[in-house]
Amino acid sequence: MMDHGRARELLLDQRLPPELQRELDAHLAGCEACRAGQVAERELTALLEEKLPQHPASLALKRRLAERMGEARFDAPAAASRRARRLVPLAAAAAVAAAVALLPLALRNRSAAPLAAEAVSDHLRVLEGELPLQIVSSGIHEVKPWFAGRLDFAPVIGFAGDSDYPLQGGAVARFLDRRAALLAYKRREHRISLLVLRPDGLDWPASRAVTVRGFHLLLWRKGDLGYALISDLDERELGALAAKLR
Amino acid sequence: MFGSGDDPRARFGRDALAWVDALHNLARYLTRSDADADDLVQEAYARAMASAGRFRAGSNLKAWLFRILRNAWLDHERRRGNDPAQPGSGLLEADAPDESAELLRDDLELTWLRRLVAADIEDALRKLSEEARTVILLDLEDLRDEEIAEVMGCSAGTVKSRLSRARATLRRELRAYRGR
Repeated sequence: MMDHGRARELLLDQRLPPELQRELDAHLAGCEACRAGQVAERELTALLEEKLPQHPASLALKRRLAERMGEARFDAPAAASRRARRLVPLAAAAAVAAAVALLPLALRNRSAAPLAAEAVSDHLRVLEGELPLQIVSSGIHEVKPWFAGRLDFAPVIGFAGDSDYPLQGGAVARFLDRRAALLAYKRREHRISLLVLRPDGLDWPASRAVTVRGFHLLLWRKGDLGYALISDLDERELGALAAKLR
Repeated sequence: MFGSGDDPRARFGRDALAWVDALHNLARYLTRSDADADDLVQEAYARAMASAGRFRAGSNLKAWLFRILRNAWLDHERRRGNDPAQPGSGLLEADAPDESAELLRDDLELTWLRRLVAADIEDALRKLSEEARTVILLDLEDLRDEEIAEVMGCSAGTVKSRLSRARATLRRELRAYRGR
């Protein structure tokens, strides 16, 4: 004999096995309270399905996800080494080195590709206003302390900005699954983003220059932090800023 | 953008992205802002792609993604010093009282329910504990009890009782908006 509590729970299940459904129907036939409960549950379901606001993802978020996931790897370090083994033919050490030297730049940069794509996405978010500067200041002694309590690390920034590359401010950015410090610099009308993050678990290069969708990037490691400098500024001037930052 | 159709990574990415709206909806009800919901969804997809090799083909990808998203949110809350799973945290749902007597009223009881506006329904839902809110939303996504149980980290049997209590509490909360 089914009790009220059990019957109330089963009212919500649209996929009861036939035997249990019969048991529930038998209970409902003799219980006005549970029959009223069934009506109330159906009304509530209809209300929620018809009127509860839905919050779909924005087109911008969908685009960002599609870009990042199109270039992401499942198990990054293992996949990269398997890929490298397929690309480099078995040969003597000297021949292997020569073969690697002849690989197109795009292939040599392959391990940095998803990281570079993510960095460009963050830079675009700044340019498009999706990621506004949360601290607007040209003073490094104001910008750097602002990150305290907002990140799980302290960004080490070796350059305060100058008249050639003035600092404009900072924000907390999202880089894949972690937070990063984003500092904004400028060179004439060119906007430059510097990302500083903890690269744990990422195949962060010691030093790498890449170009993604027309943006030039410089990525490097210093200590236990990873850095990415992104801009449409030409490579020589971007390199000059990187030299100041390093 | 996703490479060739035969690439399993590309295929998985496409399949996973098909659920982005559902994930964002839950994320929005877990967090308090669009920006935080966006962050949570991005983190969930990053985790999903990183652990895609562990997804069992043939099982419910949507439920798997919901579980990743909710775990990401729980991790975030714990880092902030909130542990939604701890008793006494203020976020667990107390048992709703037996409402059978009130349910015996006539159709006027249901009439006011139908007159509620969307903003009030959302407001009432947000007043529930995270567990209650989540189990109601997952049920609306047509997940089976076993799948909801995996997302919530409880047994399938517990899902039914949690859902029943959560909906009873929601109905009680909605009464506050009657006649507005």
